[in-house]
Amino acid sequence: MSGWHLTPAQAHDYAARRSDEITAMSVEAHLMHCAPCRSLLPADESWLADGWASLRDVVDRPRRGPVETVLASVGLRAETAKLLAATPRLYQAWLGSTVVVLAAALFAAYLLPRGSLMFFFLAPVVPLVGVALAYGRGGDPAHTLASVTPMAGQRLLFLRTCAVLVPALLLCTGAALLLPHTTTAWDAVFWLLPSLTLVAGSLLLGNWIHLSAASGIVGVLWLAVLGLVSLSGQTVPVGVFAPQAQACWGVALAVLAGMLLLRVRMA
Amino acid sequence: MTTALTGRVHLSGVTRRYGTRTALDGVDLELGPGVTGLLGRNGAGKTTLMRCLATDLDATSGRMRLLGLDPSRAPERTDIRRRLGYLPQNPDFYPHFTAFALLDYMAVLKELGGRRARHDEVRRVLRQVGLYDRRHSRVRRLSGGMRQRLALASALMGDPDLLLLDEPTVGLDPEQRIRFRNLVSRLAVDSTVVLSTHQIEDVAALCGHIVCLDGGRVVFDGAPGDLLARARGHVWEGPGDPGSGLTSWRLPDGRHRVLTPGSPLPPGTAFRAVEPTLEDAYLLLVGVSGAEPAEAVR
Repeated sequence: MSGWHLTPAQAHDYAARRSDEITAMSVEAHLMHCAPCRSLLPADESWLADGWASLRDVVDRPRRGPVETVLASVGLRAETAKLLAATPRLYQAWLGSTVVVLAAALFAAYLLPRGSLMFFFLAPVVPLVGVALAYGRGGDPAHTLASVTPMAGQRLLFLRTCAVLVPALLLCTGAALLLPHTTTAWDAVFWLLPSLTLVAGSLLLGNWIHLSAASGIVGVLWLAVLGLVSLSGQTVPVGVFAPQAQACWGVALAVLAGMLLLRVRMA
Repeated sequence: MTTALTGRVHLSGVTRRYGTRTALDGVDLELGPGVTGLLGRNGAGKTTLMRCLATDLDATSGRMRLLGLDPSRAPERTDIRRRLGYLPQNPDFYPHFTAFALLDYMAVLKELGGRRARHDEVRRVLRQVGLYDRRHSRVRRLSGGMRQRLALASALMGDPDLLLLDEPTVGLDPEQRIRFRNLVSRLAVDSTVVLSTHQIEDVAALCGHIVCLDGGRVVFDGAPGDLLARARGHVWEGPGDPGSGLTSWRLPDGRHRVLTPGSPLPPGTAFRAVEPTLEDAYLLLVGVSGAEPAEAVR
């Protein structure tokens, strides 16, 4: 190691960014292992601490998963993306089984007489099952910890419901587009209003009983009504999705959504 | 005792029923800063009381005020939750998360705002519970004791004014328990800490106030010294079996320690009265059903 050290003038020039490039590189190399020369340079301790903290944060912060990355890239707040991505294991299992169920419904539609009925029966129930698993002790292993945080309750429930509804609606729409007789956009979304109405009904009922029980009751009621209609032979089940019926579904959805909002505001 | 407290937790006639079963029966409590030990046998109502204090359960009847707020009103409940830390019994997590990511997720739920500030808080609590070096380990790779410390770290985030710890030392090794006691005693200078436990030694080491539940009712509410005073003259040591159906257990030196909830041993026996421990006092209070009758100890 040479006996060379910075002169006060060199230190001052370096700090003021007036040193030429070669001198600056020599100074930096020297400063790395010479504490007395480092002390010649003015230092903003709080700026340095902040810089180190920022660097530590970059190194330490958890890596975003693919879902969180996609959600953040479409403009969601980082915190919201984190909450949406951290979905319970059962929710992920539901997503897998949704694909299987819809694939089975498509096979039935192509291979069986009146096979499309399976899709009519199941499409509105698929999001309902997801909602049942999205919030509460049954579907969320960390619910005990999460349930006493400020975000718990309606806010987290609605956030998780959105996390379920978006993929469910996309998958069901995709499956509807693949049905044998789909020719118009209407054919792809005829199930949407009934589905949203059932979800709203289950969320409302969830104010009084466990959400999974509420979703179970609503889902069983739906299947029972559709089953009875099919067995009676007086009306075809497809009538439940007819344009006149859709108006009723729309009204029911509006009423249920209004009651939900009222309930949230009164809570 | 209770009159000296400033009342961060105030319960008046709180009852909680599950169907026809009454888990809490007219509980009155007043807790201020410091550590309160919540004792009671299994099924006494400790966890139900903790869940009520954590705003996880509503009281069926009675009045509760936590941190000066009413938990039955949604906006006030949310405010309470912003100042609350809760370590539940048998906490569970997302196993695929790392320790850091899990706490970061919990910090978002706790509305600890700003990514940098949130991450700094996660680091702080990880250091407090001695898990900083395991911050990038997935939860499924952590031992039971480490998971318990992770749940404790989650409860500590945001410097809560009310800290509720349900069986916090389960799975901790002796060194970690000492660390836990030091941590809680530091926190209790400003915060109200409620420690529900079966570990009497933790209560003896930490608590300036004890509440004992039995059958959903408060059977003792006071200072450890008051509980010990009740037991004086009812704890004995001597050779052999005292007989007469009293509760006793054999000590390592072969003698027997005897608890006499009612009248003391008759004079003239070889047994002499000894200073009770907090465990003796607790056993006498709840009826010593957990110990073996003296005749069975041979």
